[in-house]
Amino acid sequence: MTRKKKKAAQTEFHTVKRIDNTRLVRHVEPVKLRNLYRTAALGCVVAAFFMLYIYQHFHCIDLSFQLEDLRARQVQAAALNSELRLEIASLRNPRRIDAIAHRQLGLTQPLPAQMQEFNDLSGAEEAAVRFVRQNRTP
Amino acid sequence: MPKNRAHVRLLIVAGVAFLWIMAVFGRLTYLQLFRHSEYLARAQRQQQRTIEITPKRGAIYDRNMRPLAMSIPVDSAFAVPSEMADETLAAQLISGVLNIPRDVLETRLESSRSFVWIARKLPPEKAEALAALNLKGIYFQKENQRFYPKRDLAAHVLGFVDLDEKGLGGIEYQLDEQIRSKSEKIIVMADAHQRWFDGSEAVRDRGVNVVLTLDEKIQYIAERELQVAMGKTRAAAGSVVVMNPTTGEILALANWPKFNPNAAKEAPAEARMNRAVSALYEPGSTFKLITLAAAFDQNITRADEVFDCENGAVYVAGHRIRDHKPFGMLKVADILAQSSDVGAIKIALRLGAPKFYDYIRAFGFGSLTGVDMPGETKGIVRRLENWSQISIGSISMGQEVGVTPIQLITAVSAIANGGLLYRPHVIAGLKRGETVLPLEGSIGSTEPKRVVRPETAATLRRLMEGVVLNGTGKLARLDGWTAAGKTGSAQKIDPATGRYSRTQLIASFTGFAPISNPTVTILVSLDSPVGEHEGGQVAAPVFKRVAEQVLAYLDVPRDVPLVNPRMLRASYRRDAMTDSASLEDFSPTDFSSQADQLPEALHESKPRETPPAVTVAVDEGGDIGVPDFSGMTMRDVTERSLRLGLDPVLVGSGLAMNQTPRAEARVRRGAKITVQFGTPVAKKKAPHKGTWK
Repeated sequence: MTRKKKKAAQTEFHTVKRIDNTRLVRHVEPVKLRNLYRTAALGCVVAAFFMLYIYQHFHCIDLSFQLEDLRARQVQAAALNSELRLEIASLRNPRRIDAIAHRQLGLTQPLPAQMQEFNDLSGAEEAAVRFVRQNRTP
Repeated sequence: MPKNRAHVRLLIVAGVAFLWIMAVFGRLTYLQLFRHSEYLARAQRQQQRTIEITPKRGAIYDRNMRPLAMSIPVDSAFAVPSEMADETLAAQLISGVLNIPRDVLETRLESSRSFVWIARKLPPEKAEALAALNLKGIYFQKENQRFYPKRDLAAHVLGFVDLDEKGLGGIEYQLDEQIRSKSEKIIVMADAHQRWFDGSEAVRDRGVNVVLTLDEKIQYIAERELQVAMGKTRAAAGSVVVMNPTTGEILALANWPKFNPNAAKEAPAEARMNRAVSALYEPGSTFKLITLAAAFDQNITRADEVFDCENGAVYVAGHRIRDHKPFGMLKVADILAQSSDVGAIKIALRLGAPKFYDYIRAFGFGSLTGVDMPGETKGIVRRLENWSQISIGSISMGQEVGVTPIQLITAVSAIANGGLLYRPHVIAGLKRGETVLPLEGSIGSTEPKRVVRPETAATLRRLMEGVVLNGTGKLARLDGWTAAGKTGSAQKIDPATGRYSRTQLIASFTGFAPISNPTVTILVSLDSPVGEHEGGQVAAPVFKRVAEQVLAYLDVPRDVPLVNPRMLRASYRRDAMTDSASLEDFSPTDFSSQADQLPEALHESKPRETPPAVTVAVDEGGDIGVPDFSGMTMRDVTERSLRLGLDPVLVGSGLAMNQTPRAEARVRRGAKITVQFGTPVAKKKAPHKGTWK
C-alpha cells in the first residue's frame, strides 16, 4: 500500500492589477442617444394619449350620470310645475270665485245702470283707468 | 460555458414569456374579433333598459288660453308578488289604506308572480300613505291622469276620458288621435346599481294642445243662468248656446243636466248627452223666421203687407189649425211679433212647398251643420215628396220638423250677419308646443254659404226687433243694447197618446244683440218647464240676463240709453236661487267632490204658481257733494276729502288739474275720488323786441 503523498502547500500569488481606466473616454453616440430620447418621447406621448382617452371615457360616463340626474330632476320639476298650474286653474274656477264673491265678500252683481261707460275719457278719468289697470293683479 | 448556460436560461425565460404573451394576445384577439358580437349583445342586455314613456295628452284651453283640461303624472301602485314576504299581511295593510276589499287584493296578488296592479292613478295622499307602509314588493310608477280643473264647466264640449286616457266624449273623443301622443320607448344605459348614465334623447311626439272658441267667462255666465232658470222653472232639461254670428264660433254651450268629467262614470248617460247637438225638438214659432226669410227673399211679400189672420183659425187641406190667440188683420211685421200661426201659414201657402223646402234645406235643417263635436244629429226634415197636404202649414209654424239647437242658432246667426251661413265650430286651433298646426279635414275652415240676400236679412232683423219691443219677447229687452229675437213654444208629443201635449212644451228664445252690429247670437231652450211655459215668459228672461252680462263682458258699446237708474227691479237679488255648493267643494285637489245641485228653490214642497215677489231697490244716490279740487295741493285735497268722508286717490304731482267724479256730483260716504295732479302751463311772455348787446 502506497500512502498518498501529501501535497506540498501551494503558494498563492495575489497579483494586484492596477487598472487605470481614466484614460478611457466613453464615446457618446449622438444618433443613438437621439433615437433613445425620441423613442422615450414617443412612448410618453402614446402613454399620455391612452391616459387622456381613459380619462375622457370615464369623465363622459360621470357626466352621463350627472346628466341623467339632471334630467330626472327636470322631469320632477316639470311634474311639479304641471301640478301647480292645475291648482292655479282650479283656484281660478269662475264658479268658485263667484261663490266667494257672493258668500264670503257679500258682493252682488252690478245692475246695468251701476256700470258707467266712458266713451270720451277726460284726463282724470283716463288716469283713473290707467291707475286701476296698473294695479290690477294678473 | 457558464456564459452559454446563462444565455440559454435567458432564452428559455424569454420563450416562456413570449408564449404567455401570445396566449393572452391570442385570447384577446379571439374574444374581440370572433366573439365580439356575442359579448356586445350580453353587455347591452346587462346595461341597456328600454323604458316606455307614457303618452301625455295635450291640454285643452279656452280662447284666452285658460286651461280647461290637462294631464299630470300621478302615482300608480303595482306589486311584484314574488318579492313579497307575506302577501296576506300586505293585502290587509293595503286594504286599510286604499279602501280596497282585502279579498280582491289577495286575488290580484295570487294572479301573477311578476307584476300586478294594486291601484292605478292614486290621489297624492293615498300614494303617500301606501309608500309610508314601506312594504317589500310594492312599487310606484308614474302615469298621466286627466284633470278638469273647472269641474263641470263646459263638460259637454270637453267630454271625458277613461282610465287609460282614451277620449270617450266631446272634444276628447273627437280629437283623441291628435291629443294623445304616441306611446314611445327610449333606450337608456344603466350601471350595476341601476342608475341611468346614458339615456337616448328620443324625438318626442307630444300630444296636440287644443284651443277652443269657448270663452270661460261666457261659458260660466251661460251655465249659471241656465242653472237658475232650471231652478225657477223646474224644467226637465235645457240648453243655452252663445255664438259669434260673424264667424260661427261658439262662445258658450251649456246643457242641463250636466256632469263633472272628473267623475264621468258616476254620471248617468242622460247627463252626459250633449243636448245642444244631439237633442231633437220641434222648434215651434222660432221657425217662422225661416218662413218669413224665404218669403222676403222671394219677394212674395213685404213687411207692411197685411194678412187676414181669420180670427185665430184657418183650414189647411181640411184640417183646422188654430192660433194661440184670435188675431184679425195683421201686418207681416206683427205676424212675427205676435207669433200668429195663421199668418205664417198663409205666407207659406203663398210661397209654395218647393221653394219653402229649398230654403229650409239651405238654412241647414235636415243635414249636419258640421260642428266639430261628436253625436250631432241631422234633424228631421221630410223630403218634399213625402210632405202631406197639411205639412206646409205645420212646418211653417215649426211643427213636423225636428231641429237641434245648434242648427237653429246657426240659421238665426245667418240672419244676424246679413245672410251668410257659417259652419258652427268650437275648435279655434291646434298647437304642438309653440307650433301652430293647420286645421284640416272636417275641422278645417269652410267658406260660408249665402242663404238669403243682405236686404232680406236686414228686413228680418228689423222685424225681430219688433218681437222684443212690442211682441211676445218683451222680457228679452236689454238694458243698454238693442236686441232682436223670436220666441218659441212648441208642444211636445205625448208618448202615451201620440198627440201633441198641451202641458209639455219646449220653451225657447233665439235672438242676437246689438242689432246694428250683432256681436252674439243666443239660443235658450227649456224642455217642459213647470208653471209658466211660454218661450216669452221663461226663455226670454234668460236671454236677457245672458246677453246683458256677455255684452258688458265683451265691452260692447251700448246703443240705447239706460233706463232710469233710480227705480230698478232687483231681479239680480236672487239669494234664494244662489248656488248651494259649499265652498269646500272647490278644493283644488279633489276635483270630483263638487255636487251638482240645483238651487234651493227646487226643493220647495209645493210648486210656485205665481212668480216670486219682485224686490224694488231704490238707488238713493249719494249724500255728499264732491268739492272742486282744481288748483289745490295734494295735502289740501287729502285733508278735505278725509274730512268729508271720501277716499282720495291721487295721481301725479303738482296741483290738481282734473278729478273724477266731477265737482258737485253726489256720492256716498267712502266713495273713491280720483284727482290728477300736474304742473299748470305758465303763460307765455311776449318775445323781447330789443337787440342784445
